[in-house]
Amino acid sequence: MPPAGIWIDGLVQSCIYMTMAFGMVLVFSILGILNWTHGQFYMLGGFVVYYAVTAAGIPFPLSLLISGAVVGGLGMLVEKVVIERLTSPGYGILSVTAATNALIFFFEGAAGMGFGLMNKGMATVLPGVLDMGSFGVSYQKIAVIVFTLIIMVAMYIVLNLTKVGKAIRATSQEPDAASLYGVSVKWVRVIIMGIGCALAAMAGGVIGIVQSVNPFMGRIPMIMSLLAVVIGGLGSLTGAIVGGIMLGLLNSVIAYSISYYSEVALFMLVIILLLIRPQGLFGAAPK
Amino acid sequence: MLELRNVWIKYGKTVAVRKLNLTVNKGDFVTILGANGAGKSSTLNAISGLVKFKDLRGEIDYKGEKISGLKPGAIAARGLIQIPEGRKLFPLMTVRENLEMGAYLRKDRKQIAASMEKVMELFPLLREKLSAKARELSGGQQQMVAIGRGLMAEPELLMLDEPSFGLSPLLRQQLAEKIKEVSSEGETIILVEQNARLGLMLAKYG
Ligand SMILES: Nc1ncnc2c1ncn2[C@@H]1O[C@H](COP(=O)(O)OP(=O)(O)OP(=O)(O)O)[C@@H](O)[C@H]1O
Ligand SMILES: [Mg+2]
Repeated sequence: MPPAGIWIDGLVQSCIYMTMAFGMVLVFSILGILNWTHGQFYMLGGFVVYYAVTAAGIPFPLSLLISGAVVGGLGMLVEKVVIERLTSPGYGILSVTAATNALIFFFEGAAGMGFGLMNKGMATVLPGVLDMGSFGVSYQKIAVIVFTLIIMVAMYIVLNLTKVGKAIRATSQEPDAASLYGVSVKWVRVIIMGIGCALAAMAGGVIGIVQSVNPFMGRIPMIMSLLAVVIGGLGSLTGAIVGGIMLGLLNSVIAYSISYYSEVALFMLVIILLLIRPQGLFGAAPK
Repeated sequence: MLELRNVWIKYGKTVAVRKLNLTVNKGDFVTILGANGAGKSSTLNAISGLVKFKDLRGEIDYKGEKISGLKPGAIAARGLIQIPEGRKLFPLMTVRENLEMGAYLRKDRKQIAASMEKVMELFPLLREKLSAKARELSGGQQQMVAIGRGLMAEPELLMLDEPSFGLSPLLRQQLAEKIKEVSSEGETIILVEQNARLGLMLAKYG
C-alpha cells in the first residue's frame, strides 16, 4: 500500500483532471464537439492568476475568479467567432477539430511571446504543513482540494438551482423542446463555452498553488482529462468527476509503484478498461 | 388570428408541405389529419419557427404580424406554444423542473405559481410525481407533463402534435377529456393526429 502522501498527491492531480474533464463534458454536451484548446485555456488561467497575484497583488481567491471571468470571456469569443460558424450545418466535424487544434499552437505561441518560455512560480501562497501524525500534508495541497471542492459545489448550484443552469440542462437533453419554450440555443452555446473555459482556467489557476506555470503546461492535463472523460463515459458529468478522480489517483499510485514505465502501465489500464466497457463507466451503452 | 398563406416546406429534395393555406380564428379547435409523413409536424414546426428559413416558403402571420423567420423563442413569447410530437420532455429533469421550463419566458413568480396550481388541478396525478425524473414516468403521465409544460407557457394558441401517440384506448379517452376541458376555457387549439387514431378523438369534438 503506497503511503498516504502518494494518495494526497494523486488527489491533487484528481482535482485538476476532474475540473478540466467537467468543463470538457459541459461543452461537449451542448456543442457536440471536443474543444481541443481546453488545455490552453487551463494554461491561460494559470498565467492570469500568476500575474494577478504576483504583479497586481490581488488575493488568490479573487485572482481565481478573475481568471475564470477573463478566460471564460475569451472562450465565449472563440465560440462566437470560430466554433459557431464551423459547427453550422454543411461543415463536417473535421473543420472545427482542425480549428481548435490550430488554436492550441496559437495560444501557446502567443503565451510564449507575451509571458516568456520560462517556468514561473508564485511565492508560496500558504506556507506550513498540517501534521497528521504519521505524515504531513502541506496547506497548499489542502488549498488545491478545498478550492476545487468550492468550484464543484458552485457548479452544482449553477446547473441545478439557477434559471440559466436549468436552461443549459434542458438544452443538452432536448434542444428543440428547450427552444420551443424560449431558450435561445445560440446563447446557451456561448454561455456553456464560457463556463467550460472558466473551469479550465480555474483548474490552471488552482494548480499554480503547487506548481509553476509555463506556456506548455496545458498539454498533459488536456490528455488526462480527455482520458477521464472517455473512462467516465462521454457526455456524463458524473463520469467526468469519477474518471478524473480515478486517473489522478492511479497516476500517482502507479508512478510510485513502478516509477519507470508508469505511464505505459496507466495507459494500458485505460485501454483494457475501454475494451471491457467501451461506453465508459457512466456512458449509455450503444443502441 | 393565425394565417398560413401558400406555405411550402422543402428539406433538400423532399417536399414535406406543398402550397398550404390555413386560417385559424380565436377560440377555434382545428384538427389536422394526415398519414405518416404527410407533413403535419413540419407544419407545426414552421409555425413555431423550428423549420430553417431556407426550407420555408410562403407567409405565416399571427395577429396581422409576420412571424415566419422569427426565432422559436420570439414566437413562443407571442403565445404560440407547441407540445411536440413524442412529448420531448427533459428526461433527466424532474417533473417540477419540466413544468418550470414551460414558464421559462415568464417573470411573475406569483402568476407562475398560479399556473402550476392550475396544472395540478387538471392533472391531480402529477402532484405526487413532482420530484420524480420525467423519464421515470409512464407514457400517460409523461403526456400529462408535456401538456402541463405547454400550459405553463400561458399559450394563446396551443398546438398539440399527436398527443395520443402510444397511449392505451382508456388513456386516450381520458386525454381527450382533458383537452376538451382546456378547449372549453376558450383556448385556441390546433390538434394534429393520424387517421388511424382519429376515431375516439373526433367523436368528441369533430
Ligand atoms: N428535419 C427534417 N429534415 C429532412 N426531412 C424531414 C425533416 N423533418 C421531416 N422530414 C421529412 O418530411 C416529410 C414530412 O415529415 P413530417 O414529420 O412533417 O410528417 P408527419 O405528417 O408529422 O408524419 P408523422 O405522422 O409520422 O408524424 C417526411 O418525408 C419526413 O421524412
Ligand atoms: Mg409528425
